[in-house]
Amino acid sequence: MTIRHQLELETISAVTLAAFIGIFLAMYNNNHRPKFITVYSIPVMQEEQVSAVSPLPTTPALPKPQIASQISSDGTKQVIMKTTYNKNNTQTYNFSTADGLGTNEQTIFSKTLDSTKTMTIPFNTWSPDNKYFFVQEQIKEGSASGIMAFKALGEPFNTGEKYFDVTDLFKKHESVNNFSEATGWASETLIIINTTAPNNAKGPSYWLEVPSKAIIQLSTEF
Amino acid sequence: MAKKIIATYFISVIVGIVFFVGASFLLKSQPVCANSRTCKSDLSVSIDNNAIGVFQGQKVIPPKIDLALDILKPEFAVLGASVASSEKHIYINLETQTLYAYQGKTQVMKTLISSGKWGRTPVGNFNVWTKLRATRMAGGSGADAYDLPNVPYVMYFYRDFGLHGAYWHNNFGHTMSHGCVNMRIVDARDLYSWIDGPEKDQKGTAVSVCNKFISPNTCMQENPVN
Repeated sequence: MTIRHQLELETISAVTLAAFIGIFLAMYNNNHRPKFITVYSIPVMQEEQVSAVSPLPTTPALPKPQIASQISSDGTKQVIMKTTYNKNNTQTYNFSTADGLGTNEQTIFSKTLDSTKTMTIPFNTWSPDNKYFFVQEQIKEGSASGIMAFKALGEPFNTGEKYFDVTDLFKKHESVNNFSEATGWASETLIIINTTAPNNAKGPSYWLEVPSKAIIQLSTEF
Repeated sequence: MAKKIIATYFISVIVGIVFFVGASFLLKSQPVCANSRTCKSDLSVSIDNNAIGVFQGQKVIPPKIDLALDILKPEFAVLGASVASSEKHIYINLETQTLYAYQGKTQVMKTLISSGKWGRTPVGNFNVWTKLRATRMAGGSGADAYDLPNVPYVMYFYRDFGLHGAYWHNNFGHTMSHGCVNMRIVDARDLYSWIDGPEKDQKGTAVSVCNKFISPNTCMQENPVN
């Protein structure tokens, strides 16, 4: 190979390398631009005033009977939770379902807890087709200690039970990752479960298929 | 020899710059699509009460839509009805997956949403450019493919990215979309009734997508698209 050929080869290599670097930088620039925060201003407004706000999960705190409810996505069903504060420092939670306007109320479930625990209706309580819902039991200001899944009218599941505890089922199935939360429904029958890995990092997510009670580990984290 | 090396050096630098500028332009001008099917055709009202939807490999039965009932039974409260008429603005907080709607200084709605998981929701300041009672959305590939008829209460604010009701999941407060902003159907319905589409000389209701939203005058945006 002559010196000229060698130089030409080097030139082509250098130009090609430069082209690749150019494309790489352009891609990097497009997807990972150095982060700077733009704060734009429009006329200053007052503090938030809430009206017609969609209800978020609530925890009863006042020492008198309270009613909380959560409507389904399409507005045709709701879960109602009536909390009674007992003299022995316990609370009784009565759950019922009704249609969107609150009629045709059907009692589903009742549970009494000591004052260290509370029950809530999650925002995503209803399955998208309104056939199932779940409620949450938790240690006050702590993580969920129980997730109970029901059929919409309280009918028993095919095993005869009126509800099943998602957390218990998960613990029996999964010994490595710890149950963290049930966030909602991925589809009409799939409850999304998030976990914590043994090193306290975020673990994988799972689907719980309600009719079959099968638990499926996902590659996607929710 | 030295001249040749210097020339090679300069040619390489120039080629690098040309490719950088060219690739940047191409990448930036590439149309972003939340719904690859609708990107290929016009975005229009589409109601199909007999179709079956697919999302995450699961079959979904779409809600049946009867436009006559919309007119006959407006049984829901109208947002902002008791508030003085003033500028409307929607803010999306991607960090908390929350939507805020303001009419002037008054917050008329606050609810959980689901933004992009399999595709990014564009950050920036937009205006609703069209509202559709329902349309079909489809796209994705493989396990993430979706085909959803009768997506209700669609409010497009940037290309084919929009706010709309979602009947195929109920996991609001967590990312679940291909770039659009999913809402509970009841929330999308109320927002749809409240929001203004574009008119002759007037833009549609303002929509600001924020990485972090603190108050209407503090919407923090990283790398906004506009």
